[in-house]
Order: sequence, then structure tokens, then C-alpha cells
Amino acid sequence: MNPILEVNGLQKDFPAFSLQDVSFSLLEGCITGFIGVNGAGKTTTIKTILGLVLKDAGSIKLWGKEMDRNERELKNHIGIVFDEGYFYEDMSIREMKNVIAPSYSNWDEAVFDNNLKRFQLQPRQKISTLSKGMRMKYGIALALSHHADLLIMDEPTSGLDPLVRSELMDILLEFMQEKGKGVFFSTHITSDLDKIADVLILIDKGRIVLNEGKDVLLDKHGLVKGDQRLLDQQTRKMFLTLHETEYGFEGVTDKKIRSTPVHERRTDRKADYRKYHAGLRRGE
Amino acid sequence: MNIIISNVSDQPLYQQIKEQIKAAILHAELKGGDLLPSIRALANDLHVSVLTTKRVYDELESEGFIITRAGKGTFVAPENLELLRESKRHLVEVKLTEAWETARSLGISKSELYAMMDLLFEEDEN
Amino acid sequence: MLFNLVKKDFILAKKYWLLMLAFAIGAPIYVETQTHTMSGGLLGFLVTVLLSEYMIFNSVSMAEDKYKGSALLSATPYTRKTLIKAKYLFILGIFVGCYILYTITAFLLPSYMVTLNLLSLGISFLIVAIYYGFIVPLQYRFGYEKVRYISFFAIFIVPFLFPYIWIWFQSRNIDWQTIFLFPSVIQELLLFLLALLIGLISMLVTIRIYSQKDL
Repeated sequence: MNPILEVNGLQKDFPAFSLQDVSFSLLEGCITGFIGVNGAGKTTTIKTILGLVLKDAGSIKLWGKEMDRNERELKNHIGIVFDEGYFYEDMSIREMKNVIAPSYSNWDEAVFDNNLKRFQLQPRQKISTLSKGMRMKYGIALALSHHADLLIMDEPTSGLDPLVRSELMDILLEFMQEKGKGVFFSTHITSDLDKIADVLILIDKGRIVLNEGKDVLLDKHGLVKGDQRLLDQQTRKMFLTLHETEYGFEGVTDKKIRSTPVHERRTDRKADYRKYHAGLRRGE
Repeated sequence: MNIIISNVSDQPLYQQIKEQIKAAILHAELKGGDLLPSIRALANDLHVSVLTTKRVYDELESEGFIITRAGKGTFVAPENLELLRESKRHLVEVKLTEAWETARSLGISKSELYAMMDLLFEEDEN
Repeated sequence: MLFNLVKKDFILAKKYWLLMLAFAIGAPIYVETQTHTMSGGLLGFLVTVLLSEYMIFNSVSMAEDKYKGSALLSATPYTRKTLIKAKYLFILGIFVGCYILYTITAFLLPSYMVTLNLLSLGISFLIVAIYYGFIVPLQYRFGYEKVRYISFFAIFIVPFLFPYIWIWFQSRNIDWQTIFLFPSVIQELLLFLLALLIGLISMLVTIRIYSQKDL
């Protein structure tokens, strides 16, 4: 699997915050989830990749080409969706489209019309009248109408109800059916990633903390519940987070495969990884 | 073909999938030349990462069970009797080892175990 | 591509077209009848064009600031350079629009308005170029919010100051002819060239400023 996007040593300093040595790669054919709490640096990283924010150091390569030198050509292959939309609200769907479309050399009007129909959007609708869910769908309609190979989305699911979120996941899976595509989306809602993420990248306080295939992550970690009498100095060390009550303990360990059997063990991958994420945040 | 993954098993996900596909091939549920789903389709259906299904297919291919033809897809490799026989033996070996270790940990001797096996086979033949 | 971006700005200013039309017709008539200056329609046109430019450019700047559309646009293949060029073309477009409206109105109502001569047009163009030559880079550098008070102030000062400057100029009886040794037509064209030059320099400065900005 070739890398679609390679970010290396990205550095950006702000008065109150900085991105430090951010490096990761997005592989083709993968949906990469970019997780982090609010303020961790997700949006800044995305904006830096897209050139909206100017980096202090580091390199960004797409399909092997440097972004700095080939910006216009590369952006033709990127579809973007921002949580805020950044649309001119007083314009209609069609008017806004007419502003964006001419910049893309592969703009496909037929695909766009199709997308509008599918999402039940009317070309004459004013953007300010659209609900959050419709706005996101509009953003996707735009992003998917120029044969993009990489879809970058900044918090596409925030403020959306579960049904719409599920629809979005289906759209992304459909997008991935074609070869050579990639999706990169940031979120702080971990349940979104359960369904479709292949790789998880966690960012915290401007640094990349984790970058792994989702299943490997789940395999390595385990949620252990048991009798607190089983906890001693040795066993305590095996846990990343530990929650003890008078009824028992519950903890996340990243030594599941190697750990010696702790009795009364029960593990559940899905619950695991939510706890792991919460645990990391607390533990960091 | 049924692939059922357990979230509470100790076995890594990729291994569970790999073994179940292998078992399906060994039990002739999947025959030589059968088309397998793409890594993406399999990943979507099983709700696992493509990296996992990719690893499964890569390993099955290097072990000779499946073949990928560029542009056409991934197929079950044509019947390789030697490979099949070896793998079948291996599967049984694994089960036998499990049985033996369980017997040993419970204090059941080798001769007792053999007697048990004879009994079971006799019952089965009847 | 540039066309679509300029069109975008005109769409953003949609609400003000009607008002601009009213201005383009009403203001010159008002000014001419009130001041009776023999400025060849200059004062009337100047007032019109400055107010129209101000209203329209201001409302577009406000919309840009509010909706941050430039963030999305910068993420598309549109280069920041193109976005700036389109902005300047837009300002030029407003000027041209005002001129056309003024000329049509003057043609239809010759008793109220005088058709503009080249000199008046040139001077107006130069003033607009100087004004926006300053304001646009400032706005991109410091943001719409901070600069809008300055631009508001400046716009209102000019029509008031202008008659005094004009009279002062006249009183000097400067013989432009002998200074430049050019026929007046060339001098008038030079005004346009100067204005274009100022506009170009301003544009280059703004492009530079914008290329360093975090959106």
C-alpha cells in the first residue's frame, strides 16, 4: 500500500500552542481516523497540510510530490470538508458551487447533480437555510464531485445525529471501493471510528501520540475486570489505567498478549478501545 | 463461507480470520478457483480494518492457499494436494496437542488417553 | 477562473446593487445642483464612485470576514495570488460600472448632468487607485475589523476636502501644459497609467502580505 500523504516533522508555533514534530503517513486504500480532544491540534494539522496555515518547519508530500511546489496540481486531487463549512451563507447551493467548481480541472457537473439528488438538496436553496446535516452533505457533495483521490475532513460528524453520521460512514465506505482512494478525517467522537477506521492517529497537545492499525490496537489492549484482591504491585504495573471500587476493579492494559492470566478476565475489544483512549488522555 | 470473529478471544483478529478461511478451504467449502471478496469488501463486512484483511490475504498467499491476479482479484489457489494434506494434518495436530496438554494437566496418563481415543472412535464408527 | 471569483464578489454584494444604482443616478444630480462647480461633472462622479466603491467593497469585506469563505477557497486549487487579483479586478469593475451608469444617466438627462471628460475620469480613477491602494493592503494585513473605521473616515473626508483642494489647485494657475510639454490628452492618459501603476504596486504588496497569512 503506497502512501498517499506523507507528513514529516511538521512544526508550527502559536503563542499558546504548537504543533511539534508531527509526522505520519496515510496509506492508500485506508480510512484514517485522526483523534484528539478539542484543542489537541487536529484542525491546525489539517489546515497546515492544506496550506491554510503556514508551517514553520517540516515537509508535506502527496503522492510523492512536495506540496510546496505543486500545490495547485495536488489540490485538484483533494476533496475537503470543514466542520464550519466556510460557505458564503447568503449564496445558494448552486451559486457557491459556481465559485468553487471552476478551480478544479476535473470538475464533474453530472456527478455533482447526482450527489445533490442523492442527498436531497435543491440547487436554489440558500445555504443559511440548511441544517447542520444538510450542510455537511453539501460539503461532501462538493468534495466528491471532482474525482478526488483523497478526502480530508475536519470534524465532519460534530453536531450530527446518529442517523446522519451513519449515512456519512456509508458514503465514505462507498468512496473507498475504488482503488487508490484515501480518507482522512478528524473527530473527537471515537464511536465514529469503530465502524470504519482502518488506522488511528491520536494527537495530544500538538504531538502525535499514536499511529496504528485499528485492529492491532484492539488486539494489544484489553479491558480487564476482576476482583480487586488480585491487584498487587506486580499486576498493577500492567495497567495503563485502573479504576477501583469496592465492587472490583476495571483497567486497561496494553500487555494483553503477554500478560499472565489474571483470573476472572473478560475482555471486549470495542469497549477496550474507548477506554484506552480515555485512559491515554488521563494518563498522559 | 462463514467467518465469525470473536471480540473476546485471545487470538488476534487477523489470525481468527485467517484460520477460518483456511478451514473453509480445507473443508472444501471454498474450492480452487473460487473468487474471494476484495480486502476492502471483506473488511467492511467483518467490520475490521483493511490492514487486517490485507495481512490475512498476504499470509494466506505466501502459504500457498490463495492467489492474487492483478486486476482480476483474489482466488483460492488450485488444489494442491500436498499442501492440503499437510495443513489438514497440522490442524489435527493442533487439536491433539490441546487434548494431550489438557489430559496431562488433569493427571490423565498417556495410556488412559489412548484408551479414551479408541473408545471414541469405536463409538463414532457405530 | 478569475471571472468566477469576481462574479462571487458581485453576488456577495447583491443587496447593494439597487442602492448603488440609486446613488449613481441621484448623487451626481444632487451634487451638481447643490454646488454648481464647474468641474466637468467631476465632483458628482467622484462622490458617486467613492460612495459606491465604499458601500460595495465594504459589504463584501464584511461578508468575507464573517463567513471566512477565503478558508475554503484557499483549500481549493485557487492560489492566494488569484484571490487577490480577483479582488482588485472587482474594485476596478465597480469603477467601470459606475462610469457606465453615470454616462447613461448623463445621456438621458443632459440638463442635470454633464458627461465626463477624460480629465475628470482620470482624476477620479487616480483618487480611487490611491485610496484603495492604501486600504486594501492594510485590510489584508490587519483584518477588516480594525481597518474599517479608517476607511469609513477617509471616504467621508474626501468629498468634503475635495472642493478645497480643487479650488486651491485652480488658484495656482499651474500651467500643466508647459510643465509636462505634453498635449493634454497624453497628460490625461498619464493619469490613468499612474493610477494603474499604483494599483499594480498595491496588488503586489497585498499578494505578499496574503501569502504570509494564516487563515
